[in-house]
Amino acid sequence: MRKKKRSAVRPAILLTAAAGLLLFSTVGSTRAALMYYSENYAAEVTVSSIGITLTENGEKISYRDYTNGGNEWNEAEGKLLTKLLAEGEALMPGKEYPERLGVTNSGSIDTYVRVIVTRSWMDAQGKDTTLTPALIDLHYLENGWIIDPAASTEERTILYCTKPVLAGQAAPDLTDTLKIDSTITNKVTQNVTEVGGNKTIETVYDYDGYQFHINAEVDAVQTHNAKEAIKSAWGVDVNIAPDKSLSLQ
Amino acid sequence: MKKCLNRKTIGMAAAALTLAAVVSTGSAMAYFTTYAQAGGGAVVHLGFSQTVPEETVSNWTKHVTVKNTGESECYVRVRAFAGESYQAALTYRDENGKWTPGKDGCYYYSDVVRAGEQSGELLIGIDNLGKEESFNVIVVQEATPVLYDAAGKPYADWDMAFDSGEGGALQ
Repeated sequence: MRKKKRSAVRPAILLTAAAGLLLFSTVGSTRAALMYYSENYAAEVTVSSIGITLTENGEKISYRDYTNGGNEWNEAEGKLLTKLLAEGEALMPGKEYPERLGVTNSGSIDTYVRVIVTRSWMDAQGKDTTLTPALIDLHYLENGWIIDPAASTEERTILYCTKPVLAGQAAPDLTDTLKIDSTITNKVTQNVTEVGGNKTIETVYDYDGYQFHINAEVDAVQTHNAKEAIKSAWGVDVNIAPDKSLSLQ
Repeated sequence: MKKCLNRKTIGMAAAALTLAAVVSTGSAMAYFTTYAQAGGGAVVHLGFSQTVPEETVSNWTKHVTVKNTGESECYVRVRAFAGESYQAALTYRDENGKWTPGKDGCYYYSDVVRAGEQSGELLIGIDNLGKEESFNVIVVQEATPVLYDAAGKPYADWDMAFDSGEGGALQ
Protein backbone atom coordinates (compact mmCIF):
# COMPACT_ATOMS: atom_id res chain seq x y z
CA MET A 1 0.00 0.00 0.00
CA ARG A 2 2.79 2.40 0.95
CA LYS A 3 4.47 1.74 -2.29
CA LYS A 4 1.27 2.57 -4.17
CA LYS A 5 0.77 5.89 -2.33
CA ARG A 6 4.34 7.05 -2.98
CA SER A 7 4.15 6.13 -6.64
CA ALA A 8 0.86 8.07 -7.14
CA VAL A 9 2.30 11.27 -5.70
CA ARG A 10 5.43 11.31 -7.83
CA PRO A 11 3.70 11.24 -11.22
CA ALA A 12 1.25 13.86 -10.00
CA ILE A 13 4.15 16.15 -9.14
CA LEU A 14 5.82 15.49 -12.45
CA LEU A 15 2.57 15.98 -14.28
CA THR A 16 2.10 19.29 -12.47
CA ALA A 17 5.64 20.29 -13.38
CA ALA A 18 5.08 19.44 -17.04
CA ALA A 19 1.78 21.31 -17.07
CA GLY A 20 3.49 24.21 -15.33
CA LEU A 21 6.18 24.29 -18.01
CA LEU A 22 3.57 24.27 -20.74
CA LEU A 23 1.55 26.94 -18.96
CA PHE A 24 4.66 29.06 -18.54
CA SER A 25 5.36 29.06 -22.26
CA THR A 26 1.74 30.00 -22.98
CA VAL A 27 1.74 32.67 -20.29
CA GLY A 28 4.78 34.19 -21.95
CA SER A 29 2.76 34.90 -25.11
CA THR A 30 -0.29 35.96 -23.16
CA ARG A 31 1.80 38.31 -21.10
CA ALA A 32 3.21 39.82 -24.26
CA ALA A 33 -0.28 40.26 -25.65
CA LEU A 34 -1.43 41.91 -22.47
CA MET A 35 1.57 44.20 -22.37
CA TYR A 36 0.67 45.40 -25.86
CA TYR A 37 -1.85 47.68 -24.20
CA SER A 38 0.54 48.88 -21.56
CA GLU A 39 2.29 52.19 -22.00
CA ASN A 40 5.78 50.72 -22.24
CA TYR A 41 4.89 48.12 -24.83
CA ALA A 42 3.02 50.65 -26.99
CA ALA A 43 6.26 52.56 -27.34
CA GLU A 44 7.99 49.41 -28.53
CA VAL A 45 5.33 48.75 -31.19
CA THR A 46 5.75 52.25 -32.58
CA VAL A 47 9.35 51.41 -33.38
CA SER A 48 8.34 48.21 -35.15
CA SER A 49 5.82 49.49 -37.71
CA ILE A 50 6.72 48.37 -41.20
CA GLY A 51 5.47 50.07 -44.33
CA ILE A 52 6.29 50.42 -48.02
CA THR A 53 5.12 52.70 -50.82
CA LEU A 54 5.45 52.32 -54.58
CA THR A 55 5.90 55.61 -56.40
CA GLU A 56 5.69 56.57 -60.07
CA ASN A 57 7.29 59.80 -61.31
CA GLY A 58 7.42 60.96 -57.69
CA GLU A 59 3.75 60.26 -56.98
CA LYS A 60 2.50 57.79 -54.40
CA ILE A 61 0.66 54.96 -56.19
CA SER A 62 0.28 52.01 -53.80
CA TYR A 63 1.20 51.51 -50.17
CA ARG A 64 0.77 49.11 -47.29
CA ASP A 65 1.72 50.40 -43.86
CA TYR A 66 1.19 48.85 -40.45
CA THR A 67 -0.49 51.27 -38.12
CA ASN A 68 0.38 50.44 -34.54
CA GLY A 69 -2.36 52.69 -33.19
CA GLY A 70 -5.15 50.90 -34.97
CA ASN A 71 -3.32 47.56 -35.01
CA GLU A 72 -4.23 47.21 -38.68
CA TRP A 73 -2.87 47.72 -42.19
CA ASN A 74 -3.35 51.04 -43.88
CA GLU A 75 -3.21 50.17 -47.55
CA ALA A 76 -4.22 51.27 -51.03
CA GLU A 77 -3.53 50.00 -54.55
CA GLY A 78 -3.38 52.47 -57.41
CA LYS A 79 -2.75 52.18 -61.14
CA LEU A 80 0.40 52.75 -63.11
CA LEU A 81 0.70 54.65 -66.42
CA THR A 82 -2.53 56.61 -66.00
CA LYS A 83 -0.70 59.82 -66.96
CA LEU A 84 1.45 58.31 -69.70
CA LEU A 85 -0.61 59.91 -72.46
CA ALA A 86 -2.61 63.10 -72.50
CA GLU A 87 -6.30 62.99 -73.40
CA GLY A 88 -6.61 61.94 -77.05
CA GLU A 89 -2.85 61.43 -77.46
CA ALA A 90 -1.73 58.31 -79.30
CA LEU A 91 1.21 56.26 -78.16
CA MET A 92 4.28 56.79 -80.33
CA PRO A 93 6.40 53.65 -80.78
CA GLY A 94 10.05 54.59 -80.34
CA LYS A 95 9.44 57.58 -78.09
CA GLU A 96 10.82 57.47 -74.55
CA TYR A 97 8.23 58.39 -71.96
CA PRO A 98 9.27 59.33 -68.41
CA GLU A 99 8.57 56.40 -66.12
CA ARG A 100 10.39 56.71 -62.81
CA LEU A 101 9.41 53.82 -60.59
CA GLY A 102 10.53 54.25 -57.01
CA VAL A 103 10.15 52.89 -53.51
CA THR A 104 9.71 54.82 -50.28
CA ASN A 105 9.95 53.33 -46.84
CA SER A 106 6.69 54.52 -45.29
CA GLY A 107 7.21 52.56 -42.07
CA SER A 108 9.17 53.30 -38.96
CA ILE A 109 11.78 50.57 -39.27
CA ASP A 110 14.53 50.18 -41.85
CA THR A 111 13.84 47.55 -44.49
CA TYR A 112 15.44 45.64 -47.34
CA VAL A 113 13.32 45.84 -50.47
CA ARG A 114 12.98 44.10 -53.78
CA VAL A 115 10.77 44.84 -56.77
CA ILE A 116 9.25 42.33 -59.17
CA VAL A 117 8.38 43.90 -62.51
CA THR A 118 6.36 42.00 -65.10
CA ARG A 119 5.67 43.09 -68.66
CA SER A 120 3.08 41.57 -70.95
CA TRP A 121 0.74 42.16 -73.87
CA MET A 122 -2.98 41.87 -73.35
CA ASP A 123 -6.11 41.94 -75.43
CA ALA A 124 -9.76 41.62 -74.47
CA GLN A 125 -9.23 37.91 -73.71
CA GLY A 126 -6.33 38.55 -71.34
CA LYS A 127 -2.61 38.00 -71.57
CA ASP A 128 -1.21 37.02 -74.97
CA THR A 129 2.02 35.08 -74.59
CA THR A 130 2.69 34.90 -78.33
CA LEU A 131 3.82 38.55 -78.36
CA THR A 132 7.19 39.45 -76.96
CA PRO A 133 7.44 41.50 -73.75
CA ALA A 134 10.95 42.57 -74.79
CA LEU A 135 9.36 45.24 -76.99
CA ILE A 136 8.10 46.92 -73.82
CA ASP A 137 11.36 48.66 -73.03
CA LEU A 138 11.40 49.70 -69.39
CA HIS A 139 14.84 51.16 -68.77
CA TYR A 140 16.38 50.00 -65.48
CA LEU A 141 18.93 52.28 -63.88
CA GLU A 142 20.68 49.66 -61.70
CA ASN A 143 21.93 52.53 -59.60
CA GLY A 144 21.65 51.03 -56.14
CA TRP A 145 19.71 48.08 -57.53
CA ILE A 146 20.84 44.71 -58.79
CA ILE A 147 18.92 42.44 -61.12
CA ASP A 148 18.71 38.78 -60.21
CA PRO A 149 19.47 37.17 -63.58
CA ALA A 150 18.71 33.67 -62.34
CA ALA A 151 15.17 34.58 -61.37
CA SER A 152 14.45 36.97 -64.24
CA THR A 153 12.85 36.10 -67.56
CA GLU A 154 11.81 38.07 -70.63
CA GLU A 155 8.52 38.75 -68.90
CA ARG A 156 9.69 39.17 -65.30
CA THR A 157 12.56 41.13 -63.77
CA ILE A 158 13.47 40.94 -60.09
CA LEU A 159 15.55 43.76 -58.65
CA TYR A 160 17.05 44.02 -55.17
CA CYS A 161 17.98 47.28 -53.52
CA THR A 162 21.57 46.85 -52.41
CA LYS A 163 21.20 49.00 -49.30
CA PRO A 164 18.53 49.02 -46.62
CA VAL A 165 15.95 51.72 -47.18
CA LEU A 166 15.88 53.81 -44.04
CA ALA A 167 12.61 54.57 -42.34
CA GLY A 168 10.86 57.49 -44.01
CA GLN A 169 13.34 57.66 -46.88
CA ALA A 170 13.24 56.73 -50.57
CA ALA A 171 15.44 54.29 -52.44
CA PRO A 172 17.02 55.46 -55.71
CA ASP A 173 14.61 55.22 -58.66
CA LEU A 174 14.84 51.84 -60.35
CA THR A 175 13.67 52.96 -63.80
CA ASP A 176 13.68 56.23 -65.69
CA THR A 177 11.97 55.74 -69.07
CA LEU A 178 9.50 53.54 -70.88
CA LYS A 179 9.51 52.99 -74.61
CA ILE A 180 7.63 50.73 -76.96
CA ASP A 181 10.25 49.54 -79.42
CA SER A 182 9.67 51.04 -82.86
CA THR A 183 10.27 47.65 -84.48
CA ILE A 184 6.71 46.93 -83.39
CA THR A 185 5.68 48.65 -86.63
CA ASN A 186 7.59 46.02 -88.62
CA LYS A 187 5.78 43.04 -87.17
CA VAL A 188 3.00 42.02 -89.49
CA THR A 189 1.01 38.96 -90.44
CA GLN A 190 -0.14 38.26 -93.98
CA ASN A 191 -3.40 36.56 -94.68
CA VAL A 192 -3.75 35.30 -98.24
CA THR A 193 -7.20 34.54 -99.61
CA GLU A 194 -7.93 33.33 -103.13
CA VAL A 195 -11.28 33.97 -104.79
CA GLY A 196 -11.86 33.08 -108.45
CA GLY A 197 -8.17 32.77 -109.14
CA ASN A 198 -7.45 36.19 -107.68
CA LYS A 199 -5.22 36.31 -104.64
CA THR A 200 -5.85 38.90 -101.98
CA ILE A 201 -3.06 39.55 -99.50
CA GLU A 202 -4.15 41.26 -96.31
CA THR A 203 -1.36 42.57 -94.09
CA VAL A 204 -2.14 43.36 -90.46
CA TYR A 205 0.03 44.66 -87.66
CA ASP A 206 0.62 41.96 -85.04
CA TYR A 207 0.47 44.41 -82.15
CA ASP A 208 -2.36 46.64 -83.33
CA GLY A 209 -5.04 47.07 -80.66
CA TYR A 210 -3.04 45.31 -77.98
CA GLN A 211 -2.45 46.82 -74.58
CA PHE A 212 1.00 46.64 -73.10
CA HIS A 213 0.85 46.01 -69.38
CA ILE A 214 3.35 46.61 -66.60
CA ASN A 215 3.00 45.37 -63.05
CA ALA A 216 5.31 46.26 -60.19
CA GLU A 217 5.30 44.56 -56.80
CA VAL A 218 7.45 45.89 -53.98
CA ASP A 219 8.36 43.57 -51.13
CA ALA A 220 9.93 44.77 -47.89
CA VAL A 221 11.40 42.86 -44.98
CA GLN A 222 12.97 43.88 -41.69
CA THR A 223 16.71 44.49 -41.46
CA HIS A 224 17.01 42.71 -38.10
CA ASN A 225 18.27 39.17 -38.75
CA ALA A 226 18.02 40.16 -42.41
CA LYS A 227 19.65 37.09 -43.89
CA GLU A 228 17.23 34.73 -42.17
CA ALA A 229 14.27 37.05 -42.62
CA ILE A 230 14.88 37.35 -46.37
CA LYS A 231 15.33 33.62 -46.72
CA SER A 232 12.10 33.04 -44.86
CA ALA A 233 10.05 35.74 -46.60
CA TRP A 234 11.42 35.61 -50.14
CA GLY A 235 13.14 32.22 -50.27
CA VAL A 236 16.36 33.81 -51.46
CA ASP A 237 19.88 33.38 -50.13
CA VAL A 238 21.64 36.70 -49.73
CA ASN A 239 24.79 38.01 -48.15
CA ILE A 240 24.65 40.97 -45.81
CA ALA A 241 28.00 42.75 -45.49
CA PRO A 242 29.08 44.51 -42.29
CA ASP A 243 28.08 47.82 -43.92
CA LYS A 244 24.60 46.27 -44.44
CA SER A 245 25.05 46.00 -48.23
CA LEU A 246 23.01 43.23 -49.76
CA SER A 247 24.31 40.91 -52.45
CA LEU A 248 22.89 37.77 -53.99
CA GLN A 249 24.51 34.41 -53.37
CA MET B 1 6.36 -0.31 -11.77
CA LYS B 2 9.11 2.18 -11.17
CA LYS B 3 10.41 1.63 -14.67
CA CYS B 4 6.92 2.22 -16.06
CA LEU B 5 6.52 5.43 -14.14
CA ASN B 6 9.86 6.73 -15.29
CA ARG B 7 8.91 6.07 -18.87
CA LYS B 8 5.60 7.91 -18.42
CA THR B 9 7.31 10.79 -16.70
CA ILE B 10 9.96 11.11 -19.33
CA GLY B 11 7.32 10.90 -22.05
CA MET B 12 5.22 13.64 -20.54
CA ALA B 13 8.18 15.85 -19.87
CA ALA B 14 9.37 15.38 -23.46
CA ALA B 15 5.90 16.21 -24.80
CA ALA B 16 5.75 19.34 -22.66
CA LEU B 17 9.21 20.42 -23.80
CA THR B 18 8.32 19.79 -27.43
CA LEU B 19 5.15 21.82 -27.07
CA ALA B 20 7.04 24.63 -25.42
CA ALA B 21 9.68 24.50 -28.17
CA VAL B 22 7.03 24.64 -30.88
CA VAL B 23 5.39 27.66 -29.22
CA SER B 24 8.75 29.44 -28.96
CA THR B 25 9.75 28.54 -32.54
CA GLY B 26 6.53 30.09 -33.80
CA SER B 27 7.55 33.44 -32.35
CA ALA B 28 11.11 33.21 -33.61
CA MET B 29 9.97 32.67 -37.25
CA ALA B 30 7.72 35.73 -37.42
CA TYR B 31 9.41 38.50 -39.42
CA PHE B 32 8.16 41.94 -40.28
CA THR B 33 7.25 42.02 -43.96
CA THR B 34 4.97 44.02 -46.21
CA TYR B 35 4.32 44.63 -49.89
CA ALA B 36 2.61 47.00 -52.31
CA GLN B 37 1.80 46.56 -55.94
CA ALA B 38 0.29 48.34 -58.93
CA GLY B 39 -0.24 47.69 -62.61
CA GLY B 40 -1.30 49.56 -65.67
CA GLY B 41 -0.94 49.88 -69.41
CA ALA B 42 -1.94 51.59 -72.60
CA VAL B 43 -3.32 50.46 -75.92
CA VAL B 44 -1.13 50.56 -79.03
CA HIS B 45 -2.97 51.67 -82.15
CA LEU B 46 -1.21 50.84 -85.41
CA GLY B 47 -2.86 51.30 -88.75
CA PHE B 48 -1.79 51.22 -92.36
CA SER B 49 -1.59 54.35 -94.41
CA GLN B 50 -2.94 54.31 -97.93
CA THR B 51 -1.98 57.05 -100.30
CA VAL B 52 -3.49 58.17 -103.56
CA PRO B 53 -1.80 60.54 -106.02
CA GLU B 54 -3.88 63.35 -107.40
CA GLU B 55 -2.63 65.21 -110.44
CA THR B 56 -3.89 67.78 -112.87
CA VAL B 57 -2.11 69.16 -115.94
CA SER B 58 -2.12 72.74 -117.13
CA ASN B 59 0.38 74.72 -119.19
CA TRP B 60 2.76 71.77 -119.57
CA THR B 61 2.87 71.39 -115.81
CA LYS B 62 1.68 68.52 -113.66
CA HIS B 63 0.23 69.60 -110.30
CA VAL B 64 0.84 66.62 -108.03
CA THR B 65 -0.45 66.08 -104.51
CA VAL B 66 -0.62 62.89 -102.44
CA LYS B 67 -3.64 62.18 -100.26
CA ASN B 68 -3.52 59.89 -97.25
CA THR B 69 -6.74 57.85 -97.35
CA GLY B 70 -5.50 55.33 -94.75
CA GLU B 71 -5.90 55.30 -91.02
CA SER B 72 -2.45 56.30 -89.86
CA GLU B 73 -0.04 59.11 -90.62
CA CYS B 74 2.79 58.67 -93.10
CA TYR B 75 5.61 60.25 -95.08
CA VAL B 76 5.37 60.37 -98.86
CA ARG B 77 7.74 60.62 -101.81
CA VAL B 78 7.14 61.08 -105.52
CA ARG B 79 9.07 60.27 -108.65
CA ALA B 80 8.25 61.17 -112.24
CA PHE B 81 9.21 59.02 -115.23
CA ALA B 82 9.26 60.27 -118.81
CA GLY B 83 10.81 58.90 -121.97
CA GLU B 84 14.59 58.66 -122.01
CA SER B 85 15.02 61.83 -124.02
CA TYR B 86 12.50 63.81 -121.94
CA GLN B 87 13.53 62.72 -118.41
CA ALA B 88 16.31 65.26 -118.03
CA ALA B 89 13.99 68.02 -119.24
CA LEU B 90 11.56 67.59 -116.32
CA THR B 91 11.66 70.45 -113.84
CA TYR B 92 10.43 70.43 -110.24
CA ARG B 93 9.28 73.26 -108.00
CA ASP B 94 6.87 73.91 -105.18
CA GLU B 95 5.51 77.04 -103.60
CA ASN B 96 6.23 76.10 -99.98
CA GLY B 97 9.65 74.50 -100.26
CA LYS B 98 8.53 71.24 -98.68
CA TRP B 99 9.52 68.90 -101.53
CA THR B 100 13.22 68.02 -101.47
CA PRO B 101 15.08 66.02 -104.14
CA GLY B 102 16.83 62.87 -103.03
CA LYS B 103 19.86 61.18 -104.60
CA ASP B 104 17.58 58.43 -105.90
CA GLY B 105 15.58 60.79 -108.11
CA CYS B 106 12.61 60.91 -105.77
CA TYR B 107 11.15 64.05 -104.27
CA TYR B 108 10.48 63.78 -100.54
CA TYR B 109 7.73 65.69 -98.76
CA SER B 110 9.12 66.97 -95.47
CA ASP B 111 5.91 67.03 -93.42
CA VAL B 112 3.94 64.16 -91.97
CA VAL B 113 0.76 63.56 -93.95
CA ARG B 114 -1.96 62.73 -91.45
CA ALA B 115 -4.87 60.40 -92.12
CA GLY B 116 -7.41 62.13 -94.32
CA GLU B 117 -5.05 64.96 -95.25
CA GLN B 118 -2.95 65.58 -98.35
CA SER B 119 0.50 66.87 -99.14
CA GLY B 120 1.30 70.24 -100.61
CA GLU B 121 1.56 70.57 -104.36
CA LEU B 122 4.63 69.54 -106.37
CA LEU B 123 4.80 71.15 -109.80
CA ILE B 124 6.49 69.05 -112.46
CA GLY B 125 7.27 71.02 -115.58
CA ILE B 126 7.30 69.16 -118.88
CA ASP B 127 9.29 70.23 -121.92
CA ASN B 128 8.47 68.64 -125.30
CA LEU B 129 11.88 69.75 -126.61
CA GLY B 130 10.15 71.10 -129.74
CA LYS B 131 9.21 67.63 -130.90
CA GLU B 132 5.82 66.71 -132.30
CA GLU B 133 5.72 63.13 -131.01
CA SER B 134 3.53 62.12 -128.08
CA PHE B 135 5.03 60.94 -124.80
CA ASN B 136 3.91 60.07 -121.29
CA VAL B 137 4.99 61.40 -117.92
CA ILE B 138 4.13 58.91 -115.20
CA VAL B 139 4.11 59.92 -111.55
CA VAL B 140 4.75 57.25 -108.94
CA GLN B 141 4.25 57.90 -105.26
CA GLU B 142 5.16 55.87 -102.15
CA ALA B 143 4.43 56.16 -98.47
CA THR B 144 6.09 54.87 -95.30
CA PRO B 145 4.82 54.82 -91.70
CA VAL B 146 5.91 57.59 -89.36
CA LEU B 147 8.45 56.43 -86.77
CA TYR B 148 9.61 58.30 -83.67
CA ASP B 149 13.00 58.68 -82.06
CA ALA B 150 13.60 58.63 -78.30
CA ALA B 151 12.73 62.33 -78.04
CA GLY B 152 9.45 61.77 -79.85
CA LYS B 153 10.64 63.43 -83.06
CA PRO B 154 9.03 61.85 -86.15
CA TYR B 155 11.18 60.40 -88.93
CA ALA B 156 10.85 58.19 -91.98
CA ASP B 157 12.74 54.97 -92.57
CA TRP B 158 12.45 54.34 -96.31
CA ASP B 159 14.52 51.16 -96.01
CA MET B 160 12.23 49.61 -93.40
CA ALA B 161 11.26 46.03 -94.17
CA PHE B 162 8.22 44.31 -92.74
CA ASP B 163 8.75 41.11 -90.82
CA SER B 164 5.93 38.69 -91.47
CA GLY B 165 7.39 36.31 -88.89
CA GLU B 166 7.49 33.36 -91.29
CA GLY B 167 10.90 33.83 -92.78
CA GLY B 168 9.62 36.21 -95.41
CA ALA B 169 10.22 39.92 -95.46
CA LEU B 170 8.13 42.35 -97.39
CA GLN B 171 9.94 45.31 -98.80
